[in-house]
Amino acid sequence: MTAALLLQSTIIGVSIGSIYILMALGLTLMFGMMHIINFAHGAVYMLGAFVIYYVFFQWGAPYFVAFLLAMVLLGVFGFLVERTVYRPIKGGIEPTLVALLALTTFLQAAGYPVFGQLDKHVPPVFRGTRDILGVMISSERLMIIPVAGVLVVGLYLFINKTRLGAAMRAIEQDKEAAALQGVNVHVVNGLAFAIGFALAAAAGALMAPIFKLDPMMGEQPLLKAFIIIILGGLGSIPGAILGGLMLGLIDSIVATALGAEPAFLLSFVFIIVLLLFKPTGLFGHAP
Amino acid sequence: MLRRIATPALLVVVLGLAVLVPWLGDYYVHVFALVFINVLLAASLRPSLTCGQLNIGHSAFMCVGAYASALLAKHFAVPFELSLLSGALLATVVGLAVGYPSLRLRGVYFAMVTVAFVEVVRLVAAIWVSLTRGNSGLSGIPKPNLLGMILTTKASQYYLIVFVTVVALVILWKLERSRLGLTWKSIGMADHLAQSLGVNIANYKLLAFMVGCFFAGVAGALYAHFIRFLFPPEFGFLVATNILVYNFVGGRDHFVGPIVGAVFLSLLSEPFRGSAYETIFFSIAMLLTILFLPGGLITLPGKLAGLRWGRAASAPTPSPTG
Amino acid sequence: MPLLETRDLSKHFDGLAAVNRVDLTVEEGEIVGLIGPNGAGKTTCFNLLSGFLRPTAGTIRFDGADITGLRSHRIVKRGLVRTFQHTTLFQEMTALENVLLGLHLHSRKGLGQVLFSRRPFPRAEIHHSREVLQFVGLSAHLDQPAKNLPHGHQRILGIAMALAARPRLLLLDEPVTGMNLDESGRVMALVKTIRDRGTTILLVEHNMKAVMGTCERIVVLNFGQKLAEGTPAEVSTNPNVIEAYLGAGLEHARG
Repeated sequence: MTAALLLQSTIIGVSIGSIYILMALGLTLMFGMMHIINFAHGAVYMLGAFVIYYVFFQWGAPYFVAFLLAMVLLGVFGFLVERTVYRPIKGGIEPTLVALLALTTFLQAAGYPVFGQLDKHVPPVFRGTRDILGVMISSERLMIIPVAGVLVVGLYLFINKTRLGAAMRAIEQDKEAAALQGVNVHVVNGLAFAIGFALAAAAGALMAPIFKLDPMMGEQPLLKAFIIIILGGLGSIPGAILGGLMLGLIDSIVATALGAEPAFLLSFVFIIVLLLFKPTGLFGHAP
Repeated sequence: MLRRIATPALLVVVLGLAVLVPWLGDYYVHVFALVFINVLLAASLRPSLTCGQLNIGHSAFMCVGAYASALLAKHFAVPFELSLLSGALLATVVGLAVGYPSLRLRGVYFAMVTVAFVEVVRLVAAIWVSLTRGNSGLSGIPKPNLLGMILTTKASQYYLIVFVTVVALVILWKLERSRLGLTWKSIGMADHLAQSLGVNIANYKLLAFMVGCFFAGVAGALYAHFIRFLFPPEFGFLVATNILVYNFVGGRDHFVGPIVGAVFLSLLSEPFRGSAYETIFFSIAMLLTILFLPGGLITLPGKLAGLRWGRAASAPTPSPTG
Repeated sequence: MPLLETRDLSKHFDGLAAVNRVDLTVEEGEIVGLIGPNGAGKTTCFNLLSGFLRPTAGTIRFDGADITGLRSHRIVKRGLVRTFQHTTLFQEMTALENVLLGLHLHSRKGLGQVLFSRRPFPRAEIHHSREVLQFVGLSAHLDQPAKNLPHGHQRILGIAMALAARPRLLLLDEPVTGMNLDESGRVMALVKTIRDRGTTILLVEHNMKAVMGTCERIVVLNFGQKLAEGTPAEVSTNPNVIEAYLGAGLEHARG
């Protein structure tokens, strides 16, 4: 692999990594607070992309309007899911996981009659390419990095500097203690769902102009997000960020060298080994 | 008294109906063959679930069994009874390799190893093209060559599946009713307590896991020689979750739970097979059951009876408080 | 040689010593009580002795052998069995099934037996379980789901299960907590009978009357360390012990 190709792969890796970070952040936040893996995350990614398709491409609204709309709509959806699916389920984590699986299956399957059988395409928002340090990268891919960066910083500020963010951190530490201190656990959980879904929708919306759209498009990003949160440590936000970047780079560089599926295989084998020897990942705390 | 004859009578009726299916035509033979395979898969996951382990990767072992049996039969003309056994044993060995280090992991971490593992198996099948023909799929799998006879008709293959499934279910039922099954239940209910009575939790969980892998491998071999075409994405994460869902929707508290769940969901999605509506109905059924019948479909007769009599149908008389 | 002997037994959590250099001995045939204010480290001791926690330091010897750091199911095999204060039972199973599980180590588990015999459990095991239930006075409740039993009966069932495991040393974790005078009296009488039949007893309890009335020797823990040791009379008049408890429980017991 030439130096130029490596550089190009690296920059694209950061771009892909940014998407993964957005997916992983929501997943890790929801795990940290509620100890569930949101299997519906992939479907939300897909829905975010389809909002772009309809609002930006079909109706002609400006891209960033469509983008914000995707985040808001799916955030509200997330809040509703907490209310109607997560909260009513007693009997522990397992039925909740199964219910989220059911939700995902439904959304992905319903995608076919609603969106049609054929793959869809969204034209690029930022046309052309730019020259970065001597290699050409599509502007579309480059644009992802700052947008994702803004969202990540926004999330960081929210979690660490606001009252609601503090409530989230309290629930993550000790749910009962937080409730005793007056935190409305249900509402804050709903908020976590909303944020998680909004971030996943943002990821899908950002990728919409780059890859083709189909109802199953979220499955791979979900599995990758899954790998990331284990790598980074379940419930750890810095872990999700670092893990997302790492996987983005691995995906881009290794996949270019060996092919997409072997790269995927390697990352899964890697996390199995990681789970066996250090289940808490890079930054996770022991349960 | 009614209960005494109800169960065997029901079994006879069900088996009788199963035997009559080929008279309905090839389409129904195909449908019901797959139903029986799903039943076997669902029932094979039950011991692990009873121990309290959430295994979302069971289809990986079906995949191993399927490919092993298919390749042995296709390239080495191994007769079916041996290729089936080999596939199942290989699946069990793989299960041992994965299960032994993972079983000390708690709940959600173990579940994640299983998710990762099912993808690993699928990807290996997809990448090892020289062995499995990868994503183009493995075709030309021979029909079952059983004890010297080649089962050429779909009906005969169907009866083979029914027979093997019934034998497997009998074995699993006996295991569940024995001390082994009771011990598994105790681990799922209160593992600290079981440990305090001398139960080696790790060994028992591993055994439940391996039993499950064995029968998943059997199901895989049956599938391979019936459909006669194997395609790696068919054994991925989403399919693995189906097996889990059969157990949850049917009910985890009774042996027939996974059977009921598998039959119900397989048949429900059948009229829509091939279209997206199949999965839509499937997932709606899943969601509704989880939300409104948390004990699973097997609790339905009890709930209906309760509605009729105006009180809970089977509340035991509480002992006088001492 | 004592049946149970610990030397310098310690357990630290994040630098805090829950149990700190405790030397404990139990001779065969004794009924020893382990008492102390809340948080003194009694349950942690039990967890250490029964293998549910690994000691940070110190040794545990049982019946002459070093069992420090062994996993709990191996310790049970050697005859050291414990009960729990919470989740003492398999709630959804019947009393008989609970005791049958207690027989785990002394049961037949061959594959042939599982697959080919008519009855799921050998007659001898069922018979033995019935005997244990009869011994503790629960025969009438054989087929009741454990969760339907009244609280007192549930604790006794927990003891029955532990008995089925044929302990040489039985660790009872708060056997009579939450019981009224009658019930606790009956349970402590049962404890004495169990000892008379050959099982050594080490128990943790808050109910001072029960402890003083049943135990021959008492060990007092406070802040993870051994504070005092002796007969009930000696311990209840020990000024350090009285101070540790602020007089509450002991006054009640002596009265």
